[in-house]
Amino acid sequence: MSAKQFGDYIIRVDSIGKTFDNGVVALKNFSTNIRRSEVVVLIGPSGSGKSTFLRCLNGLEEIDTGSIIVDGILLDDNKKNRLEIRKEVGMVFQHFNLFPHLSVLKNITLAQMLVRKKSKGEAEDEAMQLLQKVNIAEKANVFPSQLSGGQQQRVAIARALAMKPKVMMFDEATSALDPEMIGEVLEVMKNLANEGMTMVVVTHEMGFAKEVSDWVIFMEDGMKVEEGTADHFFSDPKMDRTKLFLSQIL
Amino acid sequence: MRSSILLFCKRHHLLDISAYLVLMVGGILLLLKGAEDQGYYWQWFRIPKFLYHFEDGRFIAGPILEGLKITLNITWISLILTYIIGLVTALMRLSNSLLARGVARTYLEITRNTPLLVQIFFMYFVIAPILDIDRFTAGVLALSLFEGSYASEIYRAGIVAVNKGQWEASYTLGLGTYQNYRYIILPQAIRRILPPLTSQAISLIKDSSLVSVIAIYEMTMNANEIASETFLVFEIFFTIAAIYLALAITLSQVVAYFEKRYRVVS
Repeated sequence: MSAKQFGDYIIRVDSIGKTFDNGVVALKNFSTNIRRSEVVVLIGPSGSGKSTFLRCLNGLEEIDTGSIIVDGILLDDNKKNRLEIRKEVGMVFQHFNLFPHLSVLKNITLAQMLVRKKSKGEAEDEAMQLLQKVNIAEKANVFPSQLSGGQQQRVAIARALAMKPKVMMFDEATSALDPEMIGEVLEVMKNLANEGMTMVVVTHEMGFAKEVSDWVIFMEDGMKVEEGTADHFFSDPKMDRTKLFLSQIL
Repeated sequence: MRSSILLFCKRHHLLDISAYLVLMVGGILLLLKGAEDQGYYWQWFRIPKFLYHFEDGRFIAGPILEGLKITLNITWISLILTYIIGLVTALMRLSNSLLARGVARTYLEITRNTPLLVQIFFMYFVIAPILDIDRFTAGVLALSLFEGSYASEIYRAGIVAVNKGQWEASYTLGLGTYQNYRYIILPQAIRRILPPLTSQAISLIKDSSLVSVIAIYEMTMNANEIASETFLVFEIFFTIAAIYLALAITLSQVVAYFEKRYRVVS
C-alpha cells in the first residue's frame, strides 16, 4: 500500500493463552510479532479475544501461558518490568476513562509529572502542544464532563501520547461515539499512523482498517483465523469464516 | 425576601409546611403536658449556673462546659484516629496480601460485633495496664477503634464504587498503586463518601458520652452527677441534648459546605 519503512520487532508475542476465572477461554496459543511503525488492526466478532489481547500486552490482564516481550522487556510478574512496559505502551479505551475530578490539562500533566518526573511547566507545555495536535487546545481548563464524547476521546489520546509511548493501543476507541464524532477521532489516529507511530488497533471501522493498516488480523474464539495486508485481506480472503464475517459487516 | 418566602411556600406545598408546624407544636405540648401530669416543677432558672458564672467579672465555666471541653477533646482526637484507622483498614481489606486482609477482617468482625461499652471496659481494664496508658487515652483508643471499623466499610464502599476504568487508565499511564490511590481513586471516593463519613462523626460525638463509664468527666458524666444531686433531671439532660444537637448540626453544615464546593461534575 505504501513504501513505509518498518523497523525491528518491537512486540513479540509467543503462543500466549488466557483463561478467565469464570472458565471462559479468551486466548488460545496466540502468536504475533509487530514491527516498529507498523499499524496492526485486529478485527473479529465480539468475544473473540481482541480486547483481551490488547489488555495482555500492557499487563492489565495476566497471561497463563506463553510470553510477551515489548521493546526488549519481558512482561512477567516483575513489577518493575511491568511498570516499564506500561510507560512505553499508551492505551486508549472505548469509554475514554478520563479522570473526572481533574481538568483536561491536569488529566494530561499528572502522569508526566508523577511517572516521567517532569516539572509542572514542562508538562503543561507538552500538554498544550498535544491538545493543539488533537485540535482541542481551547478546552484545556474545562472538566471532562463538559466535553462531547469525541472531544473526550481526543483528550484521552493526548493523555496517552504525553507519556511519549513507543506503541499506542486503541481498544474500540470509536465504538462509544455518536456517528458524527467518529470521524474526528479517526482523523487523529490516521495522523498518528502517518507520523510512524506503532499502533495496535481493535476496531469495527473497516474503512480505517483498509486505509491505514499495514497488517490485519482476523480473530475468533481467541485464535487467529486469518491475517494479511489490508489489500490482500479485504479483497481476497482465503478462509470461509473470514468471507462470512466480511460479508456481514461490509 | 418576601418573594423568596413565597417561592419557598409554593415549592414545598403550603399543606406540607402546615402539617410540619402542627406536628412540632403538638409534640412540644405533649411533652409539657406529660411533665405537668407528673407534677414536675420546672426550674430552668437553676440551670445557667451549671453552665457558667462570673466571679469578679471573670468568666468561670461550670461543670457542664468543663465537661464539654473534655467531650470536644475526646471527639476531635478520636475523629482523626477513626478516619485514619478506617482508611488503613479499608486499604488492607482491598490489598492482595492475605495477611493484611486477614488482620483487617478479624479486627472488623470483633469491633463491629461487640458492644462499645464492653470494648471500653476491656481497653481500660485489660489493655491499658499492659500499655501503661491513662484513662483518657484508653477511652479515645476504644472509641476510635470502634468507629474506625464502621468508617473502614464506608471507605471501602467508596473505593469500590470508583469505575474500574479509572484504575486501568492510571495503571496504563504507569502510575503505581500508591499514586493511583493518592491522585485518582481516593479523591473521587472521598467526595462520594463525605455524607456517610459525616454521619459517622456525629455518631462519634454522641458515643463519646459512653467513656464516662471509666470515670472520664466529660459532659454526660458531669450532667449525670448534677442531675442526681439536684433532681433537675429534665432540665439538665435537655440542656446537654441541645448542646450535642448544636455540635452535630454545626458539623454537618460545615461538611455540606465543603461537599458543595468540591462536588465532582459527572
